[in-house]
Amino acid sequence: MDRPKGYGGLAGLFAGCLAAGFWGFTSTGGALPWAKRSAQALQRGARADGGALVDLGRGIVVAGPIRKGGLMLEFAGVVVLLAVLGIGLYAYASRYRGLDDAERAAR
Amino acid sequence: MAHIHLGDGSFPLWAVALWTTLGAALVGVVVYRIRKGGIKTHQIALAGIGAAASFAVFQLNIPVWGGIHMNLTGLVGILAGPLLGALIALVVNVFSAALGHGAVGLLGANTLVNASEAIVAYYAFRTLLRTDWDVFPAGAGAATLGLSAGAILMGAIIVVSGVNGSALPRGDLTIAVAGLVGLNLGVAVVEGVLTGFVVQFLASVRPDLVGLAGRTTGEESTGVTA
Repeated sequence: MDRPKGYGGLAGLFAGCLAAGFWGFTSTGGALPWAKRSAQALQRGARADGGALVDLGRGIVVAGPIRKGGLMLEFAGVVVLLAVLGIGLYAYASRYRGLDDAERAAR
Repeated sequence: MAHIHLGDGSFPLWAVALWTTLGAALVGVVVYRIRKGGIKTHQIALAGIGAAASFAVFQLNIPVWGGIHMNLTGLVGILAGPLLGALIALVVNVFSAALGHGAVGLLGANTLVNASEAIVAYYAFRTLLRTDWDVFPAGAGAATLGLSAGAILMGAIIVVSGVNGSALPRGDLTIAVAGLVGLNLGVAVVEGVLTGFVVQFLASVRPDLVGLAGRTTGEESTGVTA
């Protein structure tokens, strides 16, 4: 593996994206949540502002439409449903693959 | 994290019809190719887990860059492939719109955006591995490229469609959208790093899941044997 090429290329890509990200952050209103930033920028145009790039005090929150709409239970239900389906399918696939290997070995 | 967060009625009717038609056409092609080519059982399982993870992360707002959410569509594309990745994008957007996160009328546009992320990430990952990149930079770079492609497509869709109720001239709208796309590129780095670590971990414990069964992923052998 060509590590210098891989990590060098990745560093270049990240540098370009971070520069674009910082420009986008400042030119579309600074420290604003995405939905508010998007609505404001599309209605009123680009407006330069600043603020903290990372605000740990705010914590990780569930998206506004779900939180404010009282749909937390439904959100949790869909996540659990998809997770159970996925894990169930994974367990089935592992078992199926094991049987397949055993049959092949028997032949 | 590219996702059009506008309400129903924000796009003109012709634009809603256009993006819905294109989204439906993409899903139609994907379903046709899956039915024709078949699919491995473990990929379906990965798709189920990928959809669960992507949907959950989609709804969580993290306090970086002012408040953004991730999609994991790059990771989903790398693990489940471009076809199932596109279907997962549709499923995640349908469930999200059902909970009010994203408009129902923009399902076609948002599916196009997120499916493009998964598709580009998958092909970028394969290409980077072929050019001898290590697993971490290939995974992180591919996810970043995929998300960047999705962000640019998102911007193009908004600019082409125009926004109802916005008095901005097309030039000013393009500048504002360019800022939103730029921010998405910064977010792509965060998601790219996360994806790189997950792909590297999977490559070390289950290389078959990321299509690396025949590839040396760890340290090179010193040639010394017991």
